[in-house]
Amino acid sequence: MEISLDHRQSKTRTPERLLRASGLLYIGLMVLIPLIVILQDGLRQGFAELIHQVTLPIARSAILLTLWTSSLMTIINAVMGLMTAYALVRFEFPGKRVLNAIIDLPLSIPTLVTGVMLVMLYGPQEVIGRFLLEKFNLQIIFAQPGIVLSLLFISFPFVVRNIQPVLQDLDQTQERAAATLGANSWTIFRKIVLPALIPPMLSGSLLSFSRAIGEFGAVVIVAGNIPLKTQTGAVYVLGAVESENRLGASAVSLILIGIAFIVLALANLIHKRWGSHK
Amino acid sequence: MSIQLENISKYYGQQVVVNNLSLEVKDGEFFVLLGASGSGKTTVLNIIAGLIQPDKGKVLLHGRDVTELATQERNVGFVFQNYALFQYMTVAENIEFGLSVRKIEKSKREKRRDELLELVGLVGLGRRMPSQLSGGQQQRVALARALALEPDVLLLDEPLGALDAKIRVELRRSLKNIQRQSGVAAILVTHDQDEAFDLADRIGVMNFGRLIEVGTPQELYQYPKTEYVASFLGSANLLLGQIKAGQVYIGDHAFPLSDETYNFNPNQRAQILFRPEDVALAASQEDLGCMPLGQGKIIEQGFNGSNEHLRVEMPAIEGVRPIAPLVPYGLSGFLLDINRSAEQSTNFPTQKSDLAWVGIRRLHVLSHPGLNFLLVTDGSLRSSPAISLGGYLARMAHARLTMLGIGQDSARLEEHLLEARKQVGSGMAAMSVQTSTKPFSKAVAEAVEMQPLDMAIMGWRPTVGFSDIESALQTGEHHLLLAAQPTPRLGKALICLESGEPGKDNVAFAGRLLRHLGADATLMTVITNEAQDDSQQRRIERFLTAGKNSLARFGVDANIQIRTGPLISAIQEEMKTEAYDLLVLGAPLPNAYGKVDLHGTIGTILNSVENCSFLIIRSRQFQRLQNRFRRNL
Repeated sequence: MEISLDHRQSKTRTPERLLRASGLLYIGLMVLIPLIVILQDGLRQGFAELIHQVTLPIARSAILLTLWTSSLMTIINAVMGLMTAYALVRFEFPGKRVLNAIIDLPLSIPTLVTGVMLVMLYGPQEVIGRFLLEKFNLQIIFAQPGIVLSLLFISFPFVVRNIQPVLQDLDQTQERAAATLGANSWTIFRKIVLPALIPPMLSGSLLSFSRAIGEFGAVVIVAGNIPLKTQTGAVYVLGAVESENRLGASAVSLILIGIAFIVLALANLIHKRWGSHK
Repeated sequence: MSIQLENISKYYGQQVVVNNLSLEVKDGEFFVLLGASGSGKTTVLNIIAGLIQPDKGKVLLHGRDVTELATQERNVGFVFQNYALFQYMTVAENIEFGLSVRKIEKSKREKRRDELLELVGLVGLGRRMPSQLSGGQQQRVALARALALEPDVLLLDEPLGALDAKIRVELRRSLKNIQRQSGVAAILVTHDQDEAFDLADRIGVMNFGRLIEVGTPQELYQYPKTEYVASFLGSANLLLGQIKAGQVYIGDHAFPLSDETYNFNPNQRAQILFRPEDVALAASQEDLGCMPLGQGKIIEQGFNGSNEHLRVEMPAIEGVRPIAPLVPYGLSGFLLDINRSAEQSTNFPTQKSDLAWVGIRRLHVLSHPGLNFLLVTDGSLRSSPAISLGGYLARMAHARLTMLGIGQDSARLEEHLLEARKQVGSGMAAMSVQTSTKPFSKAVAEAVEMQPLDMAIMGWRPTVGFSDIESALQTGEHHLLLAAQPTPRLGKALICLESGEPGKDNVAFAGRLLRHLGADATLMTVITNEAQDDSQQRRIERFLTAGKNSLARFGVDANIQIRTGPLISAIQEEMKTEAYDLLVLGAPLPNAYGKVDLHGTIGTILNSVENCSFLIIRSRQFQRLQNRFRRNL
């Protein structure tokens, strides 16, 4: 009996190993090696030089711009994404299915196209853009609000799609129980529903944040490429590559990669810690 | 009175979930709503809590009408089957939730919380999270949470359903104690009979949205009124026998009608119930010590720890029809379930296949005999309303339904009956199918002679003519329902009465039927003669009021209406004033040859009224004339 078991195990072992090896090889080729190359390239002239490169005024401004626009977008996205998800799950209205399908669209639209759409909407020559500029002196295109808007557009699905399944699975008897105990609907939302939605909201927000850090296409169209003003990290990297400043490109890239990595790790942690909490 | 429900109804689309349900729960009483899943019991609980709004009726808590109030304002404690504890709060926070919503100060809150933890036996667990507790402990927390605000009533929705058997029994005991201590009136919903018997001061049995019977556990077990309750609670031996001259007959065996005070007719069919422990077994007739029923063969014998359970096959008895236990196909006799104590088994040890004398120590006659319907279909267009309405009625009234399929082409008929069965659905007391290749009227005549029926259901379209209906009224003893509407709903019935004896029969059967449907009725008499006087008017009014009262006893609300003028046009006028779904008419009396002729008043009405079904009632006078004719034949 034992022998036959061993035999069967050794039989399944070979394809299993093969599968595992090819998976790892694939990750290595596609992700790990490029990462190592850029790490090695950035540190080519030592750690001090890397720091020097990213603290150059233009580079620093680009990184900081990326961080604050992404952060602002993330906060807006978290709140509005929560509300959108709630509306889509809990309320019935005509066109709900269509709307639900449209939410994923920003993921498949080329981000350059997103940029073009925003320019067509808010450009200084267009109706809305001119109105905002004249009435409120608010410039959107070729300015920082444009960056936030384009980031909002491209990362819209992350929070909604993270919250939706959790909200759908949420046991509504808890809310009914709270109602029988005298809680009004706002209290029920705050004390019963919201605590369950915070983990998916957080992890969704972090995903959208890390997505926004690397955004290039929409931003370059909407914001242009004005150093110290509307040049984000990713756009800076392009400029550095084009002007053959290889070290500068690698250094800023490394910072962007580092931030993205930390944020993704955090999102993973939240998902692990609370995602399965029931 | 802690809880009063008055004529509550709830529909989801066409489906009736709660059907004209009224209920009163006294202060401090533990009331159990018992029913199979889908019987509407949880909906009733949700309606009391305000989580679901009823379509009709009123909810009163301690005399206060709360029907329009939100859940938050009703002050009910609710315990859910899945505990529904707030997952992100500790046990203590869960219990204090209601108090903190009401802004009770912290010290009082903590005092109350500690009292409750003590009450439910969870002292020291206040700081745990719900996920760290066992199911039984979680439900104790839920109970404490529900009691925290000292609710007016406590509603428990299968609170023990998700627990292991052993914990269930343990928690059952503490649940009862806690309810006693807090003195709050409670309604518990369950499908578990043991639980209901253990906990309840009174039980209400629900089925298909109706409250079928209410009583103490003992009353419902020993003296049920309906077949449904008799067979739903415990196991039952149920036979259809006769009452003759104040005695109960099972075949030739007469049993005294016990001290029950129901008003049985001196001669009528009767559903006879005796429980497995009411059956005696002995080696000889003399040793039985009670009324013998006959000699049977033991076909099953088992032991469950405290009792011995046997099943005995009895030979057929003329004129007796078994209802429960179900008789397997092909068996001519009937089966009895028997329970014996260890002592009884020792006194007369038996083995499988042994023959033994069987006697009945105690029996009970059900006061509400079940309804028995025949549904006739030939697969044609006119039959389709009969199938949908017949199925609906049989389900709602928990009747026994026999479906008679008529047709020459057996393959097509088979296919049609399969489809019809699907459409009829399940939920009736029993369902069987017969087929016949004979012509329509002949097939119906044979079927109605084979079994005692309360009502035959046929489809009706004016183009078909009266001959099938006339012949269906010339045989058997059933009333006749002509289904004409495409959608099966009977919400409003017009009952046309002639003042006098036949009218009473119309009311009696219409009441038996309508009580299951939650339908309203209008009782109408038409004064046809020109020279009417006040005394006639008053007499008719008295008669209709009496009819209204009889219907009220069935739980059917009725208006009364008197019209003058020609009968046909008066009925047509009345049909225009309301959307009646059912018109109840007395059958015209048969002529000297036993023939029923519908060409006349009824025929004209059948042909002129649209989108309405007809119930044609045979009065006792009709039956007497017909019986006389049949004897003469």
